Amino acid sequence: MHHTRAMAFAAAMAAGALLTGCAQQETAMAPAAAPQAAAAAMMPVPPDGATGADWTSYHGTWRDYDFSSLDQINTGTVKNLQVAWTHDPGRDTRGLQSMPLAEGGVLYYSGSYSRVYALDGATGKVIWSYFPKLDEGLIKRQTHSPYNRGVALGHGRVYVGTMDGRLIALDQKTGKPVWDTKLINSQKLTVGFTGAPIVVKDMVVIGAQGGEWPYRGPIFGVDANTGKKKWTFLTVAPDAKSQATWGHNSWRTGGGGGWMPGTYDAATNTLWWGTANPAPLYDWSGADFMHNGARPGNNLYTTSVIALDPDTGKLKFYHQELPHDGWDFDSAIGEFVMIDQGGKSLIVHPNKSGYIFVYNRGDASLVNVWRITENSNFVQSIDPKTGELIGRRDFTAGHVDPPLCPAIDGGVSWNSGAYDPRTNTWYKVGNEWCMDLKVVKTRPILEPQAQLDIGADFHEVPPPGADKPWGHVDARDPVTGQIKWQVKFKEPPMASLLATAGNLLFVPDAEGMLHAYDSRTGKELWSHSDGVGHDGGIMTYAANGKQYVAVVAGWGGMATDGFPKMFGEPFTSMPRNTGVLTVYTLK
Amino acid sequence: MSKSLLGIAAVALCLTAAPVLAADKGGGMSDDEVEGLFASTCGFCHQDGGRVAGKGPQLMGTKRSDAFIVNRIKHGKEGYMPAFGQALTDREIKGIVHYIRHLKPD
Repeated sequence: MHHTRAMAFAAAMAAGALLTGCAQQETAMAPAAAPQAAAAAMMPVPPDGATGADWTSYHGTWRDYDFSSLDQINTGTVKNLQVAWTHDPGRDTRGLQSMPLAEGGVLYYSGSYSRVYALDGATGKVIWSYFPKLDEGLIKRQTHSPYNRGVALGHGRVYVGTMDGRLIALDQKTGKPVWDTKLINSQKLTVGFTGAPIVVKDMVVIGAQGGEWPYRGPIFGVDANTGKKKWTFLTVAPDAKSQATWGHNSWRTGGGGGWMPGTYDAATNTLWWGTANPAPLYDWSGADFMHNGARPGNNLYTTSVIALDPDTGKLKFYHQELPHDGWDFDSAIGEFVMIDQGGKSLIVHPNKSGYIFVYNRGDASLVNVWRITENSNFVQSIDPKTGELIGRRDFTAGHVDPPLCPAIDGGVSWNSGAYDPRTNTWYKVGNEWCMDLKVVKTRPILEPQAQLDIGADFHEVPPPGADKPWGHVDARDPVTGQIKWQVKFKEPPMASLLATAGNLLFVPDAEGMLHAYDSRTGKELWSHSDGVGHDGGIMTYAANGKQYVAVVAGWGGMATDGFPKMFGEPFTSMPRNTGVLTVYTLK
Repeated sequence: MSKSLLGIAAVALCLTAAPVLAADKGGGMSDDEVEGLFASTCGFCHQDGGRVAGKGPQLMGTKRSDAFIVNRIKHGKEGYMPAFGQALTDREIKGIVHYIRHLKPD
């Protein structure tokens, strides 16, 4: 049995992602699986949808599946999973939130202050490290700092953004800087780069923070070889058409941004990106938001998915998920799950509100909209055909009644789900919480340095009928939203998920436990403590013929700051500003 | 509600010591100004306008001295709170301290 598995494993590594044989064998090993799941498991995996030995981009591949063909660790062997090695990047301010990458048996990852490490994937031995010299005075003045959510690989280099507005290329073998380009005046605008860049053809693309900061949230295309900036796309009012959607010249301080990595559709040469919310977060317009409040109009291109020509940075098409977003429900989540189904080329994108948008990849026209959360009242619904927000709540200054659902932390958060293409199952976290809200009129502060523009007082409250907020991991059809199974959690898991051809779903939870479930049934098969809450990435790779699972743990993200008040222990005593990368393998 | 309470507090102080209030009240910032400043810059962490513990600690009823609060606003605390010493004027910081001292339950 082990021999067979090793062969399948080697084949998967060699071929990248040819899974049919592995899936059939796994199905044969697990007679308890539902017949429907077993049949579906025999479907071939698209060759570019799953990772093999390497995991070279944020979601593994451009299809954003967070799914691996590796199956050495599977439902039968996971009981033997144990820690292979750990690594602490140090200076773990605001925890550890990045997604590790792996190529050729080497693991690359970043920690706070954009520290980058290359580690031997089998042993954890440090190959090289790089600590950029940052503007520490600036970082002390920044609110959402100094965490870093990942690096990009390509052209023999490792690329990382910094909080002081730079994009840096490192030699992949040595860690020596190749180029270092200042892209944004963070000293004045406060925003920098916390999200991972991506490599598209001969370009590195990275989006700036934004949202509640009164600027215009740029996304940059940079020559991967020279570091020369090739284009800038302002997510707030880059053209006359969009400028007209911001009354009172509010586009000058509109927010926006693209603080998580997008993805690339090679078939149409299209760069997909999600944009952040407008500023101030909460508006006092009342129902007539087209004429009243801080930023009258639809506020293009905030809270939108945008499709850019990666060669020029020009907008090809877009869909604004929430016109005039007055709830801080970004579209910035960088998860664009590419599915080919029924002759259609689709993209599934989660909005922070908890609504899931399904688009045609050719033009971002809507195919469906469905909701993953139970508790939601910022709108009554979203029309699945037109995208119209039905029964939207646009507030005036003062207390909001009833409390707003979901809370500012989102119906879904920025970390990723995982998609198993064999069974057409998307695994995704849903958060159930609301918040008591009072909208307060504010004015953007630009001098001497831009400041947050929130526009509200608030605190999180449980959803109706519950004594505490809670969360769940769902297994669903990503296009229809039909649920297959659900696991409930006392607290919303705040980390990414990982699915594998070993029929496993890995869920790093908020308390610090890493769980492995049978991805077909939701049955828990294994768990292990990583010592502190998870708020970042998880992935799998192979080195020297062995499969490894790498997960970051470290508590301190903005959405997690309220956990001690909401849930008490273990969060009351959980240290912030710590972090560790833990890598597992079989005994 | 909070604005009203702040207003009542301010009126009460005005009745007894109007000249002192004018000097002490955040260098002359109005209640609306300082409430807006707090909601813009501080309210993300100090929730309910500083009335409850949430992402940041509760400020209403704090036993910390004015000097401590001013120092914390100016210099922050790594990993917890940004430094606002270069972003906010002394007048604004004084206004925030005044706001914190007069916080009442909403």
